[in-house]
Amino acid sequence: MSSTENLITSIQGLSASSGDLSALHRILKGAEETLRADSDLQLSTLDQLDPSKHSLGYLYLLDVLTCGGPMSKEKASEVVLLIARFITSCDAEQIRLASDKFVSLCKGFKDRVLELEDPLRGVAPLLSAVRKVQVSTKRLTALHPDCLQLCLQAKCYKAGFSILSDDILEVDQPRDFYLYCYYGGMICIGQKKFQKALELLYNVVTAPMHSVNAIALEAYKKYVLVTLIHSGQFSVSLPKCASTAAQRHLKTWSIPYTEVGNCYNEGKISELQAVVVAHSSDFEKDNNLGLVKQAVSSLYKRNILRLTQKYLTLSLQDIANMVQLANAKEAEMHVLQMIQDGQIHALINQKDGMVRFLEDPEQYKTSEMIEVMDSVIQRTIMLSKNLIAMDESLSCDPLYLGKVGRERQRYDFGEDFDTVPQKFSM
Amino acid sequence: MAPSSSSGLTFKLHPLVMLNISDHFTRVKTQLNPPSSSCSNGNNNPSTGDATTLPQDFRVYGCVIGAQKGRTVEIFNSFELLLDPTTDTLDRSFLEKKQELYQKVFPNFYILGWYSTGSDANESDMNIHKALMDINESPVYVLLNPAINHAQKDLPVTIYESEFHVIDGIPQPIFVNASYTIETVEAERISVDHVAHLKPSDGGSAATQLAAHLTGIHSAIKMLNSRIRVLHQYLGAMQKGDIPCDNSLLRQVASLLRSLPAAQSEKFNEDFLMEYNDKLLMSYLAMITNCTSNMNEVVDKFNTAYERNSRRGGRTPFM
Repeated sequence: MSSTENLITSIQGLSASSGDLSALHRILKGAEETLRADSDLQLSTLDQLDPSKHSLGYLYLLDVLTCGGPMSKEKASEVVLLIARFITSCDAEQIRLASDKFVSLCKGFKDRVLELEDPLRGVAPLLSAVRKVQVSTKRLTALHPDCLQLCLQAKCYKAGFSILSDDILEVDQPRDFYLYCYYGGMICIGQKKFQKALELLYNVVTAPMHSVNAIALEAYKKYVLVTLIHSGQFSVSLPKCASTAAQRHLKTWSIPYTEVGNCYNEGKISELQAVVVAHSSDFEKDNNLGLVKQAVSSLYKRNILRLTQKYLTLSLQDIANMVQLANAKEAEMHVLQMIQDGQIHALINQKDGMVRFLEDPEQYKTSEMIEVMDSVIQRTIMLSKNLIAMDESLSCDPLYLGKVGRERQRYDFGEDFDTVPQKFSM
Repeated sequence: MAPSSSSGLTFKLHPLVMLNISDHFTRVKTQLNPPSSSCSNGNNNPSTGDATTLPQDFRVYGCVIGAQKGRTVEIFNSFELLLDPTTDTLDRSFLEKKQELYQKVFPNFYILGWYSTGSDANESDMNIHKALMDINESPVYVLLNPAINHAQKDLPVTIYESEFHVIDGIPQPIFVNASYTIETVEAERISVDHVAHLKPSDGGSAATQLAAHLTGIHSAIKMLNSRIRVLHQYLGAMQKGDIPCDNSLLRQVASLLRSLPAAQSEKFNEDFLMEYNDKLLMSYLAMITNCTSNMNEVVDKFNTAYERNSRRGGRTPFM
């Protein structure tokens, strides 16, 4: 007990400046074993510390107290409340000194919240936790996928979407990246932002991997369906930059989906529906049935879109016949919906039931356009800066320099200027 | 400071005179310390902190000519003269020769006075002034202050007249300040504008010339904006009643506003926005090209560094 008291006083004393904090960190690391062994340690001892000022010490004590095995429901909810309060009020600087401890604490927190079947309680604390652990907005942390998972379970897609708006440039663990992109894709599908979902799922499918993993497989299935919904085309071959393992194996594991894709390309609604019904058990197993239904309804849209390229005016009845809809009323509803979404531009003349397809009326000369262009140019400038930084770091990479030196030696034998050493001894 | 003149004459100064004086001063200054020797001067005198402690107190002199109609004195042109250091007067013979030549070309102009550079008029100037009094009973003295002061908004040119004041019982001529206005002819305006926008003589690249041109336009628009803002504030204060209404000033402002081009129509806005958007699109295209080339570099380097199977091609292992 006395050692714990000593520890607490030292925590309170040494939490002021950065020099003291590193000393405190060493003490805490040393004292961790004794803390675990100490059976008298209670949650009430934490009341002596202030989470915002003594974050580092609080973190260690909390970790020791809560990492135990299964606990009763009341204790679990009490612990959850305590951790949530800690996360919202802790100091980011102190936390970053012991970031992996913080990450494991948050993961434990997430598990408890899921056990209590109340994921909504965990969303806000994990959001702030992600922001605090992140060293810069370009870095992916291990907490990103956990936060997104909670958002998915709690069905609050908007909160998850706010994390997705950062551009990620640095990744620590590939598994974090796969999970982040997969969950992110699902959140975007929930928000009906299919363009961004496509980007994220594409990242998972084309990420470098030695062997196919389950995350990539699920992501590929969703990727196929989202391509159908968004762009209306399906190609069996994966993009060239996908790894060879993915290219060989992904297709063999997702045969129902490729069938749906091929059928979609034909453009016949009835055949597509037949295929869907045939494989509906597979789709249900993967929880993708809703997405498949959306894909089927998007086939109508795709067919109408193709009509705009062939005809200038068309009657509603003709549209219904060509797209295999039931009657003109349904055709009118579909066309109206598409006009509202901005997918086509048309005029419906209700008197004689004719639809006239128009060109895109955007002239790009409004002041709103100026703001759009300005933001786009700013993003491109940022991207250019990031690329230049990457270029510089690659130029200093010893692997690169070694290869360049070797090639140069082969080329100019005979001239002895600039003999670049083949190997760098670091 | 010299008291203001009470002669009731109105002075009109042409910009050509100011350009001549400043050009004269700059030329002589550069001839005295050409840029190459100023570097060596800097190395030789490490004790003097800045390279501008060169003979700053040298002055240039010359004559101004123009015409006087009634109470209005208009100063059109000027030419240079040398100061004779021994007698401390201007070179008389040269002056008369020049005056004859100018008389042939501009029969209406005659010598109105003289000019010099410096920060303030001093006693020795009065001698030169008196020497000129036999050509013109009341000459004018134009003084240009060559020190560059960025905070100062007005022109550093002052015009002095001489008046006889009773000091210590003796009537003595002293310099008194006279107010003046700037008067231009259309041709003069064009040439002054041309001189003001001189580009660096080595041409530079197209980029620097474009940048210099755009900077010039930018500063011109900024000045127009600030002047209009001053007028606007003034009118606002007049409307509120802080300043008494001045009808003649209001008439001048109204005529000025009517002469500005009408830029508020619907068509103008549309065209303006369209052109603005076009320029934005072009810069966006340039940015995308820039990004693409950067990306290409990164990908090339990455492939070279991390390529698992190196391409042997036709290279044989022996050299």
